[in-house]
Amino acid sequence: MKRLTHAWRYLTSAAILATLGIAILVQIVRIQGSPEVASVIDQGNYVWKDFYPPRGEIYDRNGNLLAGNKTVYEVGLDMTAKPDMQTVMLALQMSGFDLNEVNYRISQVPNAQYVVLDDFVSAEKADQLMALQKVAHGDPTGKNLDAIYFKAHYGRSYPENDLASNLLGFVTEDNHGYMGVEEKYDNILAGIPVRIAVPADPRRATEYPTIPPGQTIILTIDREIQASVENILDQALKNTGAISGTIIVMDPTTGEILAMSSTPRLNLNDYQSIKTVFPGETPFNRAISQAYEPGSVSKILTMASALDSGVVKQDTITFVPESIVVGGFKIYNWDGGAWGYQDMTGCLANSLNVCLAWISDKEMGSASFYSYMQRFGLGHATGIDLAGEASGRLKLPGDSDWTPVELGTNAFGQGVSVTPIQMVMAASALANNGQMVYPHVLYAQIQDGKQSNTKTQIVGTPISATTAHTISDMLANALETESSTALVPGYRIAGKTGTAQIPLPSGGYDQNNVNTSFIGWGPVDDPRFLVYIWLEKPQTNKAASVVVAPIFKQVVEKLVVLLNIPPDAIRLQMIGR
Amino acid sequence: MNNVTQIVRKVRQAPWRVQRQWIGLFLLGLVLMAMVAGIYLNVTVRATLAGRETIGLQAMITTNQRVNADLETQLAGLISIGSMQKRAEAMGFQPADPTNITFVAVPGYTGHSAVDLSIPSGNQPEAPIILPQYTESWFDYFLNQQASSNLPGGQP
Repeated sequence: MKRLTHAWRYLTSAAILATLGIAILVQIVRIQGSPEVASVIDQGNYVWKDFYPPRGEIYDRNGNLLAGNKTVYEVGLDMTAKPDMQTVMLALQMSGFDLNEVNYRISQVPNAQYVVLDDFVSAEKADQLMALQKVAHGDPTGKNLDAIYFKAHYGRSYPENDLASNLLGFVTEDNHGYMGVEEKYDNILAGIPVRIAVPADPRRATEYPTIPPGQTIILTIDREIQASVENILDQALKNTGAISGTIIVMDPTTGEILAMSSTPRLNLNDYQSIKTVFPGETPFNRAISQAYEPGSVSKILTMASALDSGVVKQDTITFVPESIVVGGFKIYNWDGGAWGYQDMTGCLANSLNVCLAWISDKEMGSASFYSYMQRFGLGHATGIDLAGEASGRLKLPGDSDWTPVELGTNAFGQGVSVTPIQMVMAASALANNGQMVYPHVLYAQIQDGKQSNTKTQIVGTPISATTAHTISDMLANALETESSTALVPGYRIAGKTGTAQIPLPSGGYDQNNVNTSFIGWGPVDDPRFLVYIWLEKPQTNKAASVVVAPIFKQVVEKLVVLLNIPPDAIRLQMIGR
Repeated sequence: MNNVTQIVRKVRQAPWRVQRQWIGLFLLGLVLMAMVAGIYLNVTVRATLAGRETIGLQAMITTNQRVNADLETQLAGLISIGSMQKRAEAMGFQPADPTNITFVAVPGYTGHSAVDLSIPSGNQPEAPIILPQYTESWFDYFLNQQASSNLPGGQP
């Protein structure tokens, strides 16, 4: 009876407990199923991490690495661990860190939990500090370096140091490319950084998505040719006292730049010294960025235009007096003398200004002359795939600053400014059956393991193939007639010197200095290379035939070896077989 | 009526027997729950270990990629044009000029061509593969196990 009396208590307790249990179960299900709660949980369970893909590598045409990546470190200090600053500073000093810089960084974030002491620290320096950290670990007095953290990441490395530096450009610590190829192809080299939510809960760990690295690119540059050309240029500057120099080597049939050298050069692993190496307005790459009046090398374009338009022929003979009046001004030959009767080859061989001014002014006329010059690309950037190209200036009739005398002076390369690469592109038409090729440095790019090669682009046909062969032949004959020091035994080469006056900003021309240039290609019957050389203000001699022609010879002697070009007789014999 | 009550009392199980059955049932439920919990725990632990291993492997991949880049750059430095020239000169070599060269006609030789850095199709890295065991349902799993055990040879 008593048991029955108290039974309701048991039942009530059981009911309460059951209700509580059910309530807990319902709550569990509700929490598990609630998207709001799930999102709150997820926020705490994921850590956002930035992944920077390695920057694409740059190779030369033979697979030699020109720009790669290496491990560098961000060195940081966990301030919450209350590090012994005296010990930390001593260790940093022993490892070669700049304590002023470190102190500055610490002072910039007074209450931070974590301070970046230095970034882009070399592996050697970081290894030294890591070794000290290991030694100090567990120090009973608490003077350890456990609060120092190392975060490895990629940094740019240039194994060849200053080789082809003007063409390659460099990458700064913010992973941006500047100048040259690094800037031009920054988008594809840098890759795309990816931000991924990494689960803190290891049960949810999944494989990271594949982060595509920056694309690897192959340049048209040949490292051996580039190094040879740079050595020759350095030696030339030393021998001639020129203040700067440029050499471009291009395959005239494809537009592939085989070498491009300009002074000064920068050790790309120490790009911070750029302001010292390139003071003031010094162009980073004169081959594409510095326009100048080319002088007589430009006569090849005038003569090609005249031949192509039919106003003269190779054997046309004309009387060349000491001067000619164009636009009311007298134009003289380089020596101020009269040269009597000359055929067109003679005009080129003797580089007669009066003859070329006669062609442009009396025979062609401004419309035809400037039409050809524009077809050769003068006055417009070539569009070469390098950052920082200048376009030069070709004044045209109708421009406010054009004067009639310029029709005469432009014919021999004065009063018109071009960059070396513009001259190279224009001359490619003469060397390549009249077809002008687009100069480029990108040979191929690699994406997803597949290589896609850059195709040759013809940007115009300013002259006919017949004219191109004729002018090449005339230039080769001209070099042979004058026994030029540019000639290389066994090889028939076409070429032209250029000695140009330098305009002064105040007007008029510098009476003490000249620009000396040479443009040439060979072998004449099957051109494999086109070489352009420019020495600025040589001091030992002012004649390009004396100063630059021998340099051209040196370059060609290297090229025929490195490009495996047999002497003409052997080559023709091989073809005959 | 009394007879009926007596019969019911005789047929009805003793209370301790009923209690034992309830306890048995409860214990059975408890054991089942413990089994499920055990399996759950086991799977969770294995998933956690696999996750930790994945994280470790990811870190290893990243480190290896960096080490590869380092080694590649170091190698490039060792065979850079400056280093090679010095080594060649130290070994008594000197640059060739055109007069030092003898050209030989080799039938079929088309000359030196530029490098091709494309990866041969056989060496392309495979896309990450997640084993079906990680994605399939229990039903699929048992079905696949059954199907594979019926194959000649017996083993999947």
